[in-house]
Amino acid sequence: MKTLLKTAVSLFALTASSAWAETVAVITPYLAQPGTQMAIEGFEAAASEKEWEVNVIDTAGDVASVISRIEDSITQNVDAIVIAVDPAQVNVGLQSAKEAGIPVVGLDAGTDPLLVANVTSNGYAMAAETSVYIANRIEGAGKVVMFVFDAFPPVQIRGVVADAIFGNFPDIEVLDRVTPDVSDGGIADSRAKMEAILAANPEAGSIAAVWAAWDQPALGALQAIEGAGREGEGIVITGIDANPQARDAIALAGNFEASIAQDFGAMGAAAADVVAGAMSGAEQRARVIYVPTKMVTANNAGQ
Amino acid sequence: MMQKLRQSGTLLGFVLILLFFALKLPDTFLTARNLINISQQLSMLAVVATTMTIVMVMNDFDLSVGSMASLSGIVAAMIFTAGYPVWVGLSAALLVGVLGGLFNGFLVSVVGILPFVATLGTLTVFSGMAFLLSDGKTVFGRDIPASFSGFARAGIEIGDIKIPMLTITAGLVIFICWCILEHTNFGRRLYAIGGNKEASHLAGIKVVRLRLYAFSLTGLGAAGAGLMYAARVASANPTQGSGLMLDAIAAVFLGMTMSRRGEPKVIYTLVGVLILGVLDNGMTQLRVDSYVREILVGLIVLAAVAVASLSKLRQA
Repeated sequence: MKTLLKTAVSLFALTASSAWAETVAVITPYLAQPGTQMAIEGFEAAASEKEWEVNVIDTAGDVASVISRIEDSITQNVDAIVIAVDPAQVNVGLQSAKEAGIPVVGLDAGTDPLLVANVTSNGYAMAAETSVYIANRIEGAGKVVMFVFDAFPPVQIRGVVADAIFGNFPDIEVLDRVTPDVSDGGIADSRAKMEAILAANPEAGSIAAVWAAWDQPALGALQAIEGAGREGEGIVITGIDANPQARDAIALAGNFEASIAQDFGAMGAAAADVVAGAMSGAEQRARVIYVPTKMVTANNAGQ
Repeated sequence: MMQKLRQSGTLLGFVLILLFFALKLPDTFLTARNLINISQQLSMLAVVATTMTIVMVMNDFDLSVGSMASLSGIVAAMIFTAGYPVWVGLSAALLVGVLGGLFNGFLVSVVGILPFVATLGTLTVFSGMAFLLSDGKTVFGRDIPASFSGFARAGIEIGDIKIPMLTITAGLVIFICWCILEHTNFGRRLYAIGGNKEASHLAGIKVVRLRLYAFSLTGLGAAGAGLMYAARVASANPTQGSGLMLDAIAAVFLGMTMSRRGEPKVIYTLVGVLILGVLDNGMTQLRVDSYVREILVGLIVLAAVAVASLSKLRQA
């Protein structure tokens, strides 16, 4: 009983200092993902310049809870909502927000008519850049291992583009299309899968390249290649996202040659601009706003 | 005195939580709209938790309910994708729930594996099946019929208030579970098994068969909750039900602190579900940090169970 009372008192203390007025709710199930985190930090920085109050809500992987938290935010009568989740899965919440006249902006989410706009990087272009990089580096011939993750739509589209590009080179053979288990972060299982593929293809030069739809599998593949002592075979590895660990690996000028840096901070700031426009009643014509990306290689990985 | 404190402590805590939010959020918390929102948000957890109560009255566990919820959503979605009518998808998904539950029951009561171990194994099996069937993809968009996802948006209008179908469905499931456990011989026998399996067996209760039935009902409930979840998010994902399992167990444990002998009861489980849902809703509205919210929810569950446990020790 005492404990319960104490908890209630701490709850009161926790919230007593916060002001009543709320303006923008940012809701995502993926705050643990570095990219989402950076985009939301970018949004918060831009929002603080605009003197907004931001409530960041992480539902820790639970998509239905995003709908619940959108409903709670509507009850609170927030001025705008930002979501970083596939909008098709939270349609009920978006519909309720529309009925309540509250604008919803997507932050690296997906396109949906119920969103004012989605601010993101061009996933098709990123996948095209890395797969063409590989095709050119291996001179249009050789066996390629692909690491994909079709369960998550923004990553799934990268795989589709890479499939199309490799399919357009008659002498490129996709040796395996691997979906790693991402529950451990994606590196460990990718390494295990790559070790098995290397064991099945023991001849030097039998694998020309590894294309990964994001950086973690690329890092796992790199570890497997180095662990098997096959780093001298010239296996080209590319990733997408250019996270700090990937940048370090690329800077060493080894097998991991390229990745694509998304500017998540700029994405957050651009989303804040869209929110500002929506709150002021301005018309938003472009439904998807792409933030520029940059290829990271050994030449610029340290920057 | 300690007995009373143990029984009423959690309920009193719930009332205090309600009062706290009502005072802090005078304009938004106790409104009809917000209460209906809470009821709808909790509907899937309520179904899983109340059907989980059925196995927990026998001192058993089912850790596979979250995976089963994901699997049932995927089964329905794959059948929709193949062009079959909605009722076929729903029936197949519920049948998968019953069969999965029966398999759990078989492992626990016939093979004799501890429920924790058996259902931990089937958790992985069901999850793998969901991934295999869906090829790891989220099924959404035109593959999900509007009449299915529309169920989550529909409701019965009473004056200005619209009671969501998800809330009504959860209410029906709770009522049926309450009737089964409190007003049938089947339910009383399950409680007897929970009291003493050996004695129940010697008294002529068909323990093996009843445990099979109980697990299949829990599987059916998990599959039903999975369908409700899939309708709510208008999509099916091989991991989407995984968060339900721990919350359901927490709700049953919270409820157990309110009963006289510490046994699970459907109505008390419902209070446990309400505590979790109200905390989530109220703290979101108060803009408490998501992670602080998780810590507080965990601490409240621990506090309630600790009070119950301490009072039991004193009694002994």
